[in-house]
Amino acid sequence: MNPLKKIFELLEYDFSDAGKFAKLAPLFDATKTFFFLPSPKNKQGPFIRDNLDLKRYMSFVIISLLPVLFFGIYNTGYQSGLARGETLGFWASFLSGAWVVLPIIIVSYAVGFFWEILFAAIRRHPISEGFLVTGLLFPLTLPPTIPLWQVAMGISFGVVIGKEIFGGTGRNILNPALTARAFVFFSYPVTMSGNIWVAGADAVDGITGATALAVTAEGGSSLTSALSEQGFTLSSLFFGFVPGSIGETSALCCLIGAVFLMVTRIGNYRIILGGIAGLAVTAILFYFLPGTKGTWAAAGPLYHLCAGGFLFGISFMATDPVSAPGTNPGRWIFGFLIGFLTVILRVANPAFAEGVMLAILFMNVFAPLLDHLVMKHRISKRIPNV
Amino acid sequence: MVDFIFCRRIPDKTGRINCTNTEIMNHMEKISLSKGFTLKLAGMPDTSVIRLPRPATVGVSAQDIPHIRPKLLVKENDSVKTGQPLFCDKRDTSIQYVSPGTGTVKKIVFGKRRRLLEVVVALETMDDFIQFDPISASQLHQLPKQDLVHRLKQGGLWQTIRQLPARDTADSETAPPLIIVCLNGNDMFSPHPGLVLQDNTRQFEFGLSVLKQFSDRVIVAARTDSLKLLSPVKHLITLEVPDIHPAWDPGAILYHIKKEAKENAAWYINVQGLVRMAQFLETGQYPVDTMVTVTKGNDKKPHMITRQGSPIRLLAGNLPLNSLITTGRFNGRRVDPDTHLGFFENTLNIIPDAPADEMFGFIRPGLDKPTVSKAFLSSLVDRKVQMDCTMHGEKRACINCSYCESICPTDLMPSFIMKALVSDDIEEALALGLLDCCRCGLCSFTCPSKIELAHILSQGMDMHHKDKQG
Repeated sequence: MNPLKKIFELLEYDFSDAGKFAKLAPLFDATKTFFFLPSPKNKQGPFIRDNLDLKRYMSFVIISLLPVLFFGIYNTGYQSGLARGETLGFWASFLSGAWVVLPIIIVSYAVGFFWEILFAAIRRHPISEGFLVTGLLFPLTLPPTIPLWQVAMGISFGVVIGKEIFGGTGRNILNPALTARAFVFFSYPVTMSGNIWVAGADAVDGITGATALAVTAEGGSSLTSALSEQGFTLSSLFFGFVPGSIGETSALCCLIGAVFLMVTRIGNYRIILGGIAGLAVTAILFYFLPGTKGTWAAAGPLYHLCAGGFLFGISFMATDPVSAPGTNPGRWIFGFLIGFLTVILRVANPAFAEGVMLAILFMNVFAPLLDHLVMKHRISKRIPNV
Repeated sequence: MVDFIFCRRIPDKTGRINCTNTEIMNHMEKISLSKGFTLKLAGMPDTSVIRLPRPATVGVSAQDIPHIRPKLLVKENDSVKTGQPLFCDKRDTSIQYVSPGTGTVKKIVFGKRRRLLEVVVALETMDDFIQFDPISASQLHQLPKQDLVHRLKQGGLWQTIRQLPARDTADSETAPPLIIVCLNGNDMFSPHPGLVLQDNTRQFEFGLSVLKQFSDRVIVAARTDSLKLLSPVKHLITLEVPDIHPAWDPGAILYHIKKEAKENAAWYINVQGLVRMAQFLETGQYPVDTMVTVTKGNDKKPHMITRQGSPIRLLAGNLPLNSLITTGRFNGRRVDPDTHLGFFENTLNIIPDAPADEMFGFIRPGLDKPTVSKAFLSSLVDRKVQMDCTMHGEKRACINCSYCESICPTDLMPSFIMKALVSDDIEEALALGLLDCCRCGLCSFTCPSKIELAHILSQGMDMHHKDKQG
């Protein structure tokens, strides 16, 4: 017998109702089922079941995030090297990036799991796999210089207010990771907004630099030339060798993750494609608006797609099935409007340089309404049977 | 919809329906349906037919009869003849369930709260039938409808006709908008209609003319795969359905052909029921034989002719440890090996247990893990699969992933209906089409959160039916 299984069997009694750690049963259960996939016998028909379960579902989102995560770690180190005036090699960049990013991820998981276990123990339900995704998504939306206590505050807000007070996974209205980010964004604007910080390996304060979305051209020159002056060429934005939040900089890595999610049908392609379409259509409309030269209105769809966190948001945040609509036409509209609102916020709202977070949260609120309308339409198409 | 309605002819003396316009008669409609169970399961039965030895006991089960409130008509140790009523339905005592053999009532088995499970009869070597006057095809048309109904009820065969959407016994007081004859059974490996009909073509035609007494519109539906062996009756088939489970289910068929709300109350009958009904009318004796299939692993077992209500153990043979026996993988019931096959059941699936909990099972490539999703490597290979009887995961909250919607053959949104039902909003559930549910079980099959959607929906429909009956 597997030695690990033996350990679990030895400990089983202590975590059962009669045991001394009965309160921590969900923690035991989560750990045990992480190692050994449970497969109880079917009690009701159908008597055969598909192999896909929520553990695999959520681990596929984690897999899709791996390119973004590894690139984010590498780029954080690379950018901090650039800020100090040196060009670091691959491993040096990766290691110094890991030194900055891993503590953020560890704090996010540790604090978030604390809340998850607390609520699971009180409510006596199993720990949901959904948090594995939330706990990784949230750090990837943060600038590398964020103080760790803010990470802890953010994930606490996201898990407790964003999810648990609604009843836990499956019942939340807003995406918990984005709720967490919104909390940090509005509570600690100095660390989060406008000018972002480049993590320095030794400098505590880091060095400030503008994000691509905060750039405007002056004196009648075009936006693209102003962007490339500051180092934001379309290719650097696409590949992601620019400063920014940990996970958002590389459009390529986001696209790899998005394609993986769409091919495995874990992420709904309607949301991702609808979002990209919405962004492109709106960006083209603004492009043809007169008198916008030098601002992001004139940037055109490709720059809007590659700059900022849009691709990250639409691929990994908007596709969260719980906070997105549950009907297919609803998903197209949802995605499209996220793209539309992102450009509107970027272009027409001087208060925020980036709009994707607010666009997704805003549409999360509207998702039930979209579902309601779609269902009403579908009901009207059915031959009634009562 | 081209069906019998266009070739309504008065049958001649032999009872055959002569349709002058053979072109219309031969025209077979086809429904298209893309949603459903698309995996290929191993273990399809062979097309050979064997006859099983006479069982020592037969049972009449009350567990596969929907909505019944049984009232016993016999006691233990009573001797019964073949065709003698054993119990009836309290809601309509003229609907009787009769003994498929002659012998003594050995045991009456009750479950919890004294619910009748089955009546077991120990068989004698010879059958002594309760005899009715035979009715020939030519007599059929002189017989008033009530008399026909009465005869079928007396013979214990009226209940082979059932009524959608609740799938209760057909209400003989009403006229059905249409009758669906299902040539294929509830499981994908139910007995092949070609084999059921090979010696019963005449009875099948007679049965159809019986149904024509109740409705002008009789739809005979067969799945594409079955048509090869159905050439003797091909001219009678009006609807071809694709080879995707559960396209041949009466609920799924009705959903795809109906044009207006009044068709919802359609009747349906299984091919074996129809043949037995005709055999009964023709001979005046209760037909005791039925054809069953048994699927077990990769075995290609033959079709078996056996007595209705045969012991499960006789049919199933040796059972692998911890396996489940069901009368339909998706929508049958779980049966105990020491009980007997039910009135409506004609297939057994022996589903093996899974190997022990797998280490890191959730992240293995899964070449050997069948799935309708795209999250395992197995979805890239097209081969016959074996499935075990376990859940492959634990219950979680609904995450709105729509896997249930994308597999539902009747275009329902099972997750939304489930939410309406668990919050006691039956109106909302009905508006979303709850009663179109054909109970195929695919929503539960596919749910990654392992929610018992099919069970919740079925319960909702049954509760609604109970309320409606008052």
